[in-house]
Amino acid sequence: MISLIDAPKDKRLRIVDVQGGHGVRRKLLSLGFHKNDIVELDSRSIFGGPVLIKDLTSDTSVALGRGIAQKIMVDIIDDQK
Amino acid sequence: MTIKNKHPDIIFLGQPNCGKSTLFNAIAGLKSETSNFPGTTVKHTHSKVNILGRVLNIIDLPGAYTLNPTDDAENVALSHLFVEKPDLIINVIDASILARSLELTLELIELEYPMVVALNMMDLAEKKGIDIDPEKLESLLGVPVVTTIASHGRGIKELLDTALDCLDRCRKPHQITWTKDVSDKIEELAGRLPADFPIVANKRFTAVKMIEAGRLLFDKMLGEINPELKGHLDRIREDLERMHNVPAYEVISAERHHLAFKLFEASSEVKRGKQISALERVDDILMHPLLGYLILIAVFLAFFLIIFKVGNPVEEFLLEPITQFRGYLSAVLGRNLLFYIADGLLQGVGGGVAIVLPYFVPLLFLMSFLEDIGYLPRAGFLMDTFMHRMGLHGKSISPFVLGFGCNVPAIMSTRMLESRRDRVITSLLIPFIPCSARTTIVLALVAFYLGPFWALGFYAFNILLVAVLGRFLSLFYKEPSPGLILEIPSLKVPSLANIAKKTYAQLVSFVKFAWPVLIVGSVILGLMQFTHLDRVVNVILSPFFEKMLGLPEELGVTMVFGFLRKELSLIMMLQALGVDYHNLMSVISREQLIIFTVFISFFIPCLSTVAIIWKEIGKKEAVLSMGLNIGVASLISLAVRLIIGV
Repeated sequence: MISLIDAPKDKRLRIVDVQGGHGVRRKLLSLGFHKNDIVELDSRSIFGGPVLIKDLTSDTSVALGRGIAQKIMVDIIDDQK
Repeated sequence: MTIKNKHPDIIFLGQPNCGKSTLFNAIAGLKSETSNFPGTTVKHTHSKVNILGRVLNIIDLPGAYTLNPTDDAENVALSHLFVEKPDLIINVIDASILARSLELTLELIELEYPMVVALNMMDLAEKKGIDIDPEKLESLLGVPVVTTIASHGRGIKELLDTALDCLDRCRKPHQITWTKDVSDKIEELAGRLPADFPIVANKRFTAVKMIEAGRLLFDKMLGEINPELKGHLDRIREDLERMHNVPAYEVISAERHHLAFKLFEASSEVKRGKQISALERVDDILMHPLLGYLILIAVFLAFFLIIFKVGNPVEEFLLEPITQFRGYLSAVLGRNLLFYIADGLLQGVGGGVAIVLPYFVPLLFLMSFLEDIGYLPRAGFLMDTFMHRMGLHGKSISPFVLGFGCNVPAIMSTRMLESRRDRVITSLLIPFIPCSARTTIVLALVAFYLGPFWALGFYAFNILLVAVLGRFLSLFYKEPSPGLILEIPSLKVPSLANIAKKTYAQLVSFVKFAWPVLIVGSVILGLMQFTHLDRVVNVILSPFFEKMLGLPEELGVTMVFGFLRKELSLIMMLQALGVDYHNLMSVISREQLIIFTVFISFFIPCLSTVAIIWKEIGKKEAVLSMGLNIGVASLISLAVRLIIGV
């Protein structure tokens, strides 16, 4: 289990846990980001900026600030099916 | 459901970026009695339309991801939906992200109100390789589903026919099938609701929303009003949490998430080929860690250069006859009362046409273009890092960019910011963003007389000032910013017709609301000049404008009127100095021109901006905002005077 911020780019990842407060959790849920969803890290900006992740389950992209991305724990899924 | 003598209320509801407003405008445009405020919907828009002889009251609500509000924009949508029971809901869905969009649809179904689903952006879904079977979806949901492509006006007639049909004889939507344990808990709570409990829609819906609520206020209130019910609610939530190992609201939300995904799988087929769409490739470049920033700067430069390059020759062309006519008037009438009134009229009308519109129209057009292709959230992503340095985050970029058009909708759009702190800081900073009126002044004065690069330099300074002020304000608002969570919707190929329509609607509202102010203001100044009342005002203000800032005494009165509308200051400036546009530099120096522009740009933007801050944020903040603008405008223009020396 690693934090989303340390996850490799363009690998399939599974959301295992969201450690943020209720506000952050609710916001993510409303945007279609749930536990066990498969996501992908699409882009990272420079200077410690936000990351861009794509939820493959609900097919939406979200920009997350660094602080929030740190609180999302993911597992790397190896197989590419 | 519909009462004969009342027009049925039809509500448009959908998640942000689903094309809801485009669809609404397409329908309201058929025979609308009211004008709409296009762009990001932050307040609801009412419009009466007559369809096949039937008058409908259609209402466009701000986009909401869910019926559990996480920001103020969603609050607006919900309070309307809950307080005024609509006769029909039209749920607009972005078909290209069907699974996610259906989560809101499922929540709406729980309301058990008559509903029609508009499966919008079918073309986009097709491009993404998603093949949706609308009939299948219709039978699964139990509500009529109509496919539309709002941007091309397709499917709108079918949607209206279905809506009218549904008003008369609507079927109740299918009930949601929760998993057994969740369903049991919902039924249990619904059964325990006392008879006098304020039910929204129906008992089940109310129970679900109570479990999902977790807002301190609601829980506290319930605890005081009905401690017994609160006890049951707490226990039910705990049970759900224990069974599923996540907070109760997440249990409910996850149920909908899975259900929506199942509906998506059952009704659609994804035939994703290997090829990535061209737009996705463009996106990779737009958000590239290095190229993205270069493009951002290029977009910004192009934005102003285009407006200037288009506006400048048009302005020159239009000014010529007006200047000539003014000379003619002066020769024929002499300096009597009639001349002052006629001159005021001419300045007001002519200034509006020749000086304001040439810059205003291309600016509106480009703003709509950036908005429609979806560049703003991408700019938000790129700018997040820098915004953190000034104590905000990337989401505030969108209100800021809107501020370049007009500060008023920009301040309204701060509703999408989740934290009050971010809203207050952003709203205090927006008045420093040069809106189209101020851009007109900067382009018409600085760029026209000193050259376009002076104007760009001015903008660079302006942005720096906003950054420094943001940093400064953050010192007083210490609560941490929650951080960026911003959806990046897919890029859209803009429709020229839609952009033109949007620009036109905004132009109409400018002509309707701003022009009268410009004309009346100019005539009043003409009368003041005739009665020499303007001199009294100028003398009163002269210690500040003349002694401190080194500006011509005559400009005092124009500053006062600038408070009504910024363009008025520019038009009045010429009138007060008694020169036409081309001879301006004979009565004012380059330095004075710069100081005037600086002061005008950072001074209180206009009455409407103050009013909207008052209404949206609060009285204290509105007063604070005025003080901040007066203080900053005075300090900076004084500093500029000391540096360039007049």
